[in-house]
Amino acid sequence: MRRALSNTTIADRILFFILIVVSCAGMFYSRDALSQGTDVVIEVGGKSVYATSLDANREIPVEGTHGRAIVEIRDGKIRMKEARCDNHICMKQGWITQGTIVCLPNSIVVITGGGLNKDVDAVTG
Amino acid sequence: MKKISVAVSTILILAAFLSCSRQDDSVYKKSMPLMDTIVSITVVADSKEIAEKAMAEAFGKIDRFGNRVNFYSEKSELSEINRNAGIRRTTVSPETLDVIEKAVHASEKSRGAFDPTIGPIVKLWNFADKKMPSDKEIKHALPLVNYRDIIVDTNASTVLLRKEGMMLDLGGIAKGYAADMAVDTLLKEGIRSGLVSVAGDIRTFGLKPDSKPWTIGIKNPRQTGTKDEIIAKARLTDTAISTSGDYERYFISDGKRYHHLLDPKTGFPAGTCRSVSIVSDKAADTDAFSTAVFVLGPDRGMKLATDLGMEALIIDINGNMHSTDGLKEKLSFEKGP
Repeated sequence: MRRALSNTTIADRILFFILIVVSCAGMFYSRDALSQGTDVVIEVGGKSVYATSLDANREIPVEGTHGRAIVEIRDGKIRMKEARCDNHICMKQGWITQGTIVCLPNSIVVITGGGLNKDVDAVTG
Repeated sequence: MKKISVAVSTILILAAFLSCSRQDDSVYKKSMPLMDTIVSITVVADSKEIAEKAMAEAFGKIDRFGNRVNFYSEKSELSEINRNAGIRRTTVSPETLDVIEKAVHASEKSRGAFDPTIGPIVKLWNFADKKMPSDKEIKHALPLVNYRDIIVDTNASTVLLRKEGMMLDLGGIAKGYAADMAVDTLLKEGIRSGLVSVAGDIRTFGLKPDSKPWTIGIKNPRQTGTKDEIIAKARLTDTAISTSGDYERYFISDGKRYHHLLDPKTGFPAGTCRSVSIVSDKAADTDAFSTAVFVLGPDRGMKLATDLGMEALIIDINGNMHSTDGLKEKLSFEKGP
């Protein structure tokens, strides 16, 4: 190995170093894109605006089409804490651990558990 | 040494590219909040432009239909029918008329196990606040539940509910019907393969780019973790699937589970199944008959599905699974309920 290395030029070593960094970065990028801990997706108007997990307690402000809403995660559960809509169906739904919370007036959709299964094309039930 | 460095470089470059590779570009998926739920459309198309145009048409169709049959909106055609109950006929759009005719058909075939006039009973239950109606309230509302009192005039495109106080609730068929409408729209737009999912009511058509059927996960009705658990996977094409389960909207009081699948004959939740999945050609049928079979229970429900030529997977209240032979071939099971 030492003999092999002694036969390399500085340019070879720089090339190896760059390739190793690029490969490792690619692996981390890929892991991030397919994060196993991402079990919550928040969409506004059909576009994903937030992806996170239920692991950490937090409040997430989400800009809906009728103003700001607050999505809260606590103890592995998620709910719509505040939303500017007339009937507050989304807030009345309360805490969930799987499924969806929809605030239709605000075009906000919170998906957790269901819909994130990558082995299937869709889920019924 | 040069050979070694070339080999190592090739491996590293391949690793870098593979780690960033994307899925097949010809599959496009989009979700929208419509009909108070999530509607997802997946299509196989030659370009993003073709896919987005077709999906926009299909979403628009579902949105317009959903507004017409919304049980909770005063502006819907459905609410107008309900306000005019026992008073006058209501002129409705062809889609509303059609879905009501299909609902009456499902009621007749199931002998009232599915009944869209269950509206007065549905109004009494409040699953979000864990409130159940009294026996007296149920008894008072039950005479208003009878699909035979729906008078449909196809030629005049009108609907009349015979008794004042009657209420149509199309929640047990409208989402499936919407999935069918969306697939028809996608086909007209030139899409030859895809799936539409309106909540859990799914219609598939064509094959995936790898020439395989679409894989639909069936939820475990008694999952223990917080993640969605799949109890079985069904491989489907050119068919629809719906599942009715006692775990969607429910509360538990004194150790008893009260869920949203109400028996039109008693006004209380049907109690002999955990979930029922039905596979058939149209999602309007699978939607309505998954409810009907759930209400009928494993024995009578399986007989109804078989008589109608539909495939069924029933998970009874004890967790035992019953399946038609035709569906067994399309299923792979993940774990027990």
